[in-house]
Amino acid sequence: MAAYQKKPDWLKVQYNREAVEEVAKLMKDLKLNTVCKEANCPNLGECYKKHTATFMVMGSACTRNCRFCNVSCAKPQPLDPDEPRHLAEVAKKLDLRHVVVTQVTRDDLPDGGAAHMAAVVCAVHETCPGTTVEVLISDLKGSEDALRVVLDAKPEVLNHNVEMVSRLYHDVRPQARYERSLKVLSDSKKFAPGILTKTGFMLGLGETDEEVYALMDDIRATGCDILTISQYLQPTPQHWALQRYVTPEEFARFKDIAMEKGFKFVASSPLVRSSYRAAEAFEAAEGRV
Amino acid sequence: MKNELKMPKLRPEMERGVLCAWLKEPGEAYHKGEAIFEIETEKVVNQVEAEQDGVMGRQLVEEGDEVAVGAPIAEVED
Repeated sequence: MAAYQKKPDWLKVQYNREAVEEVAKLMKDLKLNTVCKEANCPNLGECYKKHTATFMVMGSACTRNCRFCNVSCAKPQPLDPDEPRHLAEVAKKLDLRHVVVTQVTRDDLPDGGAAHMAAVVCAVHETCPGTTVEVLISDLKGSEDALRVVLDAKPEVLNHNVEMVSRLYHDVRPQARYERSLKVLSDSKKFAPGILTKTGFMLGLGETDEEVYALMDDIRATGCDILTISQYLQPTPQHWALQRYVTPEEFARFKDIAMEKGFKFVASSPLVRSSYRAAEAFEAAEGRV
Repeated sequence: MKNELKMPKLRPEMERGVLCAWLKEPGEAYHKGEAIFEIETEKVVNQVEAEQDGVMGRQLVEEGDEVAVGAPIAEVED
């Protein structure tokens, strides 16, 4: 279904130019990237207005070319050794109590960027005492050693997105592996049981309800604590074709089902993104660990 | 003072946008921060907030029109 579909009423967001430009300038001045901008996130206006943003480290070029994602696939740049310090400075300036840091996938680096991510976590903890850090990592090519490096830095939340039901991986996420992504979550619980784990997936890519229930079961079996469920929004006509808009009522039903399956916190609605209102999710889940 | 509203650039690579709805009628006053029109981009519909208090004047484009970034879309009185 590639034909144009009128946007439903629930896909409306506020846009305030001054707020957007203020945060964008702060990031640009310190050569930082946000996934908000690179992924063309629909919540950018709301989050920037509230002075929150999700940092994207290790450049803006990704070594994978997933068909749902707006982040560019290109030759990656060398890591910026000042990035952890700069990011921590901005986190302090914005007075963030919960910092979310994601990364482009860096299959070109031997550790997938694990040491750099660990340095970011340490820099934020040192510069902003009391601030919690959520890392949204790649699958690190399944490396247990690389995952341990990230976990040893003690982020409060380890997030790795499973993104979609297993059947769609071949077509939409061909360079990733469903089982490998689940293993990131189960390994994290095994290596660092005290760190909350989190994942997310999208609806509207062509999955069936039964496949979604099976996906929830597979995720829950890893011991995962926090789940986000969101609407797939097609970035351009060249990306994977949107199959359908899922209604808010259906999202609410999926949330109830997920909570029954034992997740500590579930955010499920069309405009939820893995980092959207992450502080609330963290605090709610932490209270039930 | 008479002024013009222009098609905003909502993201760096945006060149054109569809004005999908006017939220204020000509002659209607609005306050800074109030949503005054809607622009559809690839993913969502953006309700664009006024950057200052004003009164909506003549609207130069109709709902559904696709307009280049920076092109005037309405006259306003600030």
